[in-house]
Amino acid sequence: MNPCILEPLKERMHFDLIVIGMGLSGLMAAKTATEIGQKTLIIGKGMGSLCLFSNTIDVLGQLPNGIKMKDGLSHWIKDYPGHPYAKVGVEKIENALSSFLSLFPPPYPFQTIDHRNCLLPTGAGTFRPTYLIPITMVGGSLIKEGQTLFVGFKGFKDFYAQYVADQLKCRGVTLPLPNTSYEMTAIALSRLMEIKSFRENIGQEIKKHLRHETQVGFPAFLGLNHPIQVKENLEEMMGAQVFEIPILPPSIPGKRIFNRFKEWLIQKGVTFSLGSSVSKVITKGKRCEGIEVFHPPVTTSFFADRFILATGRFIGGGLRADREKVFEPICHLPVHQPRSREDWFEKNFFAGHSQPIHQAGILTDLSLRPVNERGDQILENVWISGTILANHHCIDEKSREGIEIATGYMAAKQASGIST
Amino acid sequence: MKDGPMKKQSWPKKNVDVCIRCATCMAVCPVSRVTSKFPGPKQAGPGAERFRRMGEPSVDDWIDLCIGCHLCDMVCSSGVNISELNLLAKAKYLDEKGRPFRDWLLTHSYLYGWVGSFLSPFVNFLFRNSMIRWVGEAILKIDRRRKLPDYEPSTFRQWFKKHRSQVHQIKEGDHPPFKKKGKEGFEHHFMERKKVGYFYGCYMNTNEVDVGRATVQVLEVNGFEVILPLQKCCGIPMLGNGNFKGARKMACYNVPSLLKTIVSGSDIIFSSTSCGHMIKHEYSHLLSIPRADEVALHLFDIFEFLRNLKELNGLDTHFKELPLKAAYFAPCHLRALGIGLPALEILRLIPGLTLDNIEADCCGMGGTFGFKKEKYEISEEIGRDLAEVIDRLKPEIILSDCEGCRMQIRHLTGLKVSHPIQILRDALLPETKFTL
Repeated sequence: MNPCILEPLKERMHFDLIVIGMGLSGLMAAKTATEIGQKTLIIGKGMGSLCLFSNTIDVLGQLPNGIKMKDGLSHWIKDYPGHPYAKVGVEKIENALSSFLSLFPPPYPFQTIDHRNCLLPTGAGTFRPTYLIPITMVGGSLIKEGQTLFVGFKGFKDFYAQYVADQLKCRGVTLPLPNTSYEMTAIALSRLMEIKSFRENIGQEIKKHLRHETQVGFPAFLGLNHPIQVKENLEEMMGAQVFEIPILPPSIPGKRIFNRFKEWLIQKGVTFSLGSSVSKVITKGKRCEGIEVFHPPVTTSFFADRFILATGRFIGGGLRADREKVFEPICHLPVHQPRSREDWFEKNFFAGHSQPIHQAGILTDLSLRPVNERGDQILENVWISGTILANHHCIDEKSREGIEIATGYMAAKQASGIST
Repeated sequence: MKDGPMKKQSWPKKNVDVCIRCATCMAVCPVSRVTSKFPGPKQAGPGAERFRRMGEPSVDDWIDLCIGCHLCDMVCSSGVNISELNLLAKAKYLDEKGRPFRDWLLTHSYLYGWVGSFLSPFVNFLFRNSMIRWVGEAILKIDRRRKLPDYEPSTFRQWFKKHRSQVHQIKEGDHPPFKKKGKEGFEHHFMERKKVGYFYGCYMNTNEVDVGRATVQVLEVNGFEVILPLQKCCGIPMLGNGNFKGARKMACYNVPSLLKTIVSGSDIIFSSTSCGHMIKHEYSHLLSIPRADEVALHLFDIFEFLRNLKELNGLDTHFKELPLKAAYFAPCHLRALGIGLPALEILRLIPGLTLDNIEADCCGMGGTFGFKKEKYEISEEIGRDLAEVIDRLKPEIILSDCEGCRMQIRHLTGLKVSHPIQILRDALLPETKFTL
């Protein structure tokens, strides 16, 4: 076949920085790099786990009650010097969180309750500690026995108001939905909540059920685009405070976060490629030169000076496992992991402490560049961020979003040559 | 081929078992968001696939409601090709149930488009007549609320033929067709220019000729000669209606013809993202057309092509000021190409042009989907979210690379909607004056 002019030309798609992975960490890295003025490509196979787990921003939910987050983190870093937080440091964790917060101005800001963890109700009727919460969930931190009415909907399987209410010693009510024959999804309901007439019907119906309750708890689907408008309108109608309760995936509050990042990044001129799977990295010695993206039947290459790998863990596709071992499929970096398959899990699954497999991940130096078990640097222009990092138990620590935000921010600063 | 495509067997057609039921796809599906008649990609794709058996009748009569936007594929971290599963199931369902004449009519416009164009004043009059539309709905089940697109009095092919002869005349008088400003590197004489093939698509040929005109003009200003390989409908309307046989027939005509152009040393560009996505990504894997992967390697979206030129400092960026407030909507099939948003990147170089990106998931047109009586309301409801964003942005003009999106946005907002290449042309050519 004759050579065509754009063959060599295509090879020149060149960026300052390529971020691989479109979860919270990758998004945060892309934002940070863009603010520094880097020409950035962010590429992700999927939306990561933002729309699965993330409703609020956990930083370190495991801390004992009442401790200020800053103090808790300082102690934590001393106790766990290998933890990703120790590499970032308290000050930069704070900067990273501020940077995240700056993306969410009113009317949908995130906030802390007095710079400590707060307890929010869950869809299982339990309380769960978390740190930064969207304004729509603040009411949940103030629940008192008998003071809250929980609302569920017939045909919506992901939230059982009565069950939640029983656990929390309050009342629950399950409303029928007008004009729906089949089951409803959270995303469909969040859309309906933004339609005035639907919302007004719901508000009036709930008002009839209210006795002396001062609060009404909804599953977290009060609109994807204008949750505050929905919340305030309902409050006005019912004369009670309204709040959202995190529920099963997909997470509407997580999608709000994703959408906001996407909007911001595209507006700033970042090349945003969702749904593209990086099949291979092109390396030369200790340098990564580019990535190959396989979109059947075409393979496209993109080149950059620096790279951030933020591909997440097993669900995001950043780590994979066969029968014997855990591996990292894109850069083929060594994965720190239990010695053998038998050591992946505790004998007792409910042993009460974290399973060893959850600690698997990529080892890095202090600047988040990948190293092997001996501490030798593997790639000099690649930085690792997010939950793919080794030495954390984000599930038990309740530190997922905090690690994602802090390391995404730091990786981008390091990669852009601006550290400390 | 060294950097050629990955081996096909490594990409399974049905990979349902890698679905982890995480429901991320449910967060983006435009159809299940507005109607409970469609259970959403998780259930319709990998969920229902486990119950589908060869030789057994289909049980999922809602499968026809999948709009084919590919958004679910794009967000899936496990890499399940959900929309492909849906399409295969839809084809089976429609094979069993039979297709109405309406579907044949909607997917074969390439056969009668020239008649529409030839008799355009008459045809357009009929299309606007409410009585005719009422009859169309009663007999054909084409929703009467949906405005049918106007035919243009002469086709793009006719314009191109005339244009070519004019350009050649100028050449004989030794004037380059367009004066190249600045940078050297491109030939002034037409015959020595680098050739680039254009897959223009049937809709543009008969209904939106100016899009093709603008594409040709922009490429010529940038030093290319445009050639038109022999082509038929890309087949996406048929594929979208589950007619694999018909789509394959189209593909089998187009691939050898495009390949001929490619082998002679030209790349192919397209201005309709749906046609482009079809040829680039569906021909090879889904339809198993021989050598379609070679075509795919040399096929580019027009703005992707221009962005590549820019990377090589070969793009003419002598834009004049265009004081205009525009909003851009990226079609689903453009996003599914995985090339980012090149139109947005290029248009941002135009001074004076304010350009907002419309943050919405899908326009709801879905090609022929939005014409059908039983789907019209779903289509309109999906589009309502997009229209609401547009309403907030208050643009003077809306830009989108797909004819379906343009049709739907016009229908829902009544605003002027263009292809981004038309704006680029307006900013590039001295002789065109932009009018709203």
